[in-house]
Amino acid sequence: MEIERDTRGAELGPNQYEDAEGYIAPLPAGSGPRTNPLGEFPTGPAVGERLPDVVTSDSDGRIVDLHADRNGQPAVLVFTRSVVW
Amino acid sequence: MTDFEAAGVKVYVLSYDEAGAMADYKAAHNANFTMLSDPNSDVIRTFGILNTLVAEDDHPWYGIPYPGVYITDADGVITEKFFENNFQVRPGPEQLLAAVRGEEVLLKERSGADAEVTVEIEFEGDSLPVGLSRQIVARFSVPEGKHLYEGPVPEGLIAAGIELDDQSEGIIAYTPVTPQTRPMTLSGDGHTLNVYEGDVVLRLPVAQNGRAMEKDEDGRWVSINGCVRWQACDSESCGLPEEHRFSFRVPAEFSVMGDMGPGEGRVPAMNGAAHFQEMMARRQTEV
Repeated sequence: MEIERDTRGAELGPNQYEDAEGYIAPLPAGSGPRTNPLGEFPTGPAVGERLPDVVTSDSDGRIVDLHADRNGQPAVLVFTRSVVW
Repeated sequence: MTDFEAAGVKVYVLSYDEAGAMADYKAAHNANFTMLSDPNSDVIRTFGILNTLVAEDDHPWYGIPYPGVYITDADGVITEKFFENNFQVRPGPEQLLAAVRGEEVLLKERSGADAEVTVEIEFEGDSLPVGLSRQIVARFSVPEGKHLYEGPVPEGLIAAGIELDDQSEGIIAYTPVTPQTRPMTLSGDGHTLNVYEGDVVLRLPVAQNGRAMEKDEDGRWVSINGCVRWQACDSESCGLPEEHRFSFRVPAEFSVMGDMGPGEGRVPAMNGAAHFQEMMARRQTEV
């Protein structure tokens, strides 16, 4: 899959750039934290597939195995950029 | 979160942050979901959603995923997923809860040959913060023997859908969430179209970019205007195209995109800047 970078947008003033949807941020669209794909991009395993195993550390440093931890319950797994910025 | 607990659903939030930064975040926001730390982006790579548009030496941005959400059933099978191109918008809890619960339509049952399609339109959520999507929900009750069309449709037919007015500046529509369809071949020209039958729930995630807000003495507001369109058909013929307008005015606010410090609408609850510097330092010393 050829992934294209979305650089659409405009400079509004010093450290003020809007993207194609009109959101304003200090960096131009297509750079650094504002690197968004234009058009198709990979979204991982498909609906109908088993969620891949996720075994990693939680916020307390304990290793969590998601499928074991959910204990037969449905799950919501959110992939987010960062909780810091 | 208590809604997720009540629904018997476990919530996990994964990012490339250090466990320590996540612990601070949890404390600052009283978060009770499980946060998963993936500082080398191993899980992100396993899922195949590493943002490869970011250069490997572009610190500290390299390692972020294309953000999105997976919903699984009790067997761990993915039942829905939500991804948008713009990282700036995230699906609100209403959308995720609807996906895990399944949608129950509690419309009145009607029968009779001349029964018509009815629709109820709702804005789900009590506010529209910048960058968080809520949904406009259209719940149709489609009498037996009738159907609505999923788009795209040939000229002359109207697909069922929710549309914002063109002049709704600052309000952005995202990927519609639609129910399963059934293929149906039209008797006339042999076109095969996908149709909705029975109780049909369409959801249009909408967000605002901060420019749609009006301010008065009661606070900030946004207006969301548009219409729901459809055309009901049976195997013989179609009714006239229908259009129901909606207009919602809901409280609006800026949202916290990162706890980097004070600013309008922000609560400097955690010292994000310190974690950010740590992350920069770690990534620049790694080869």
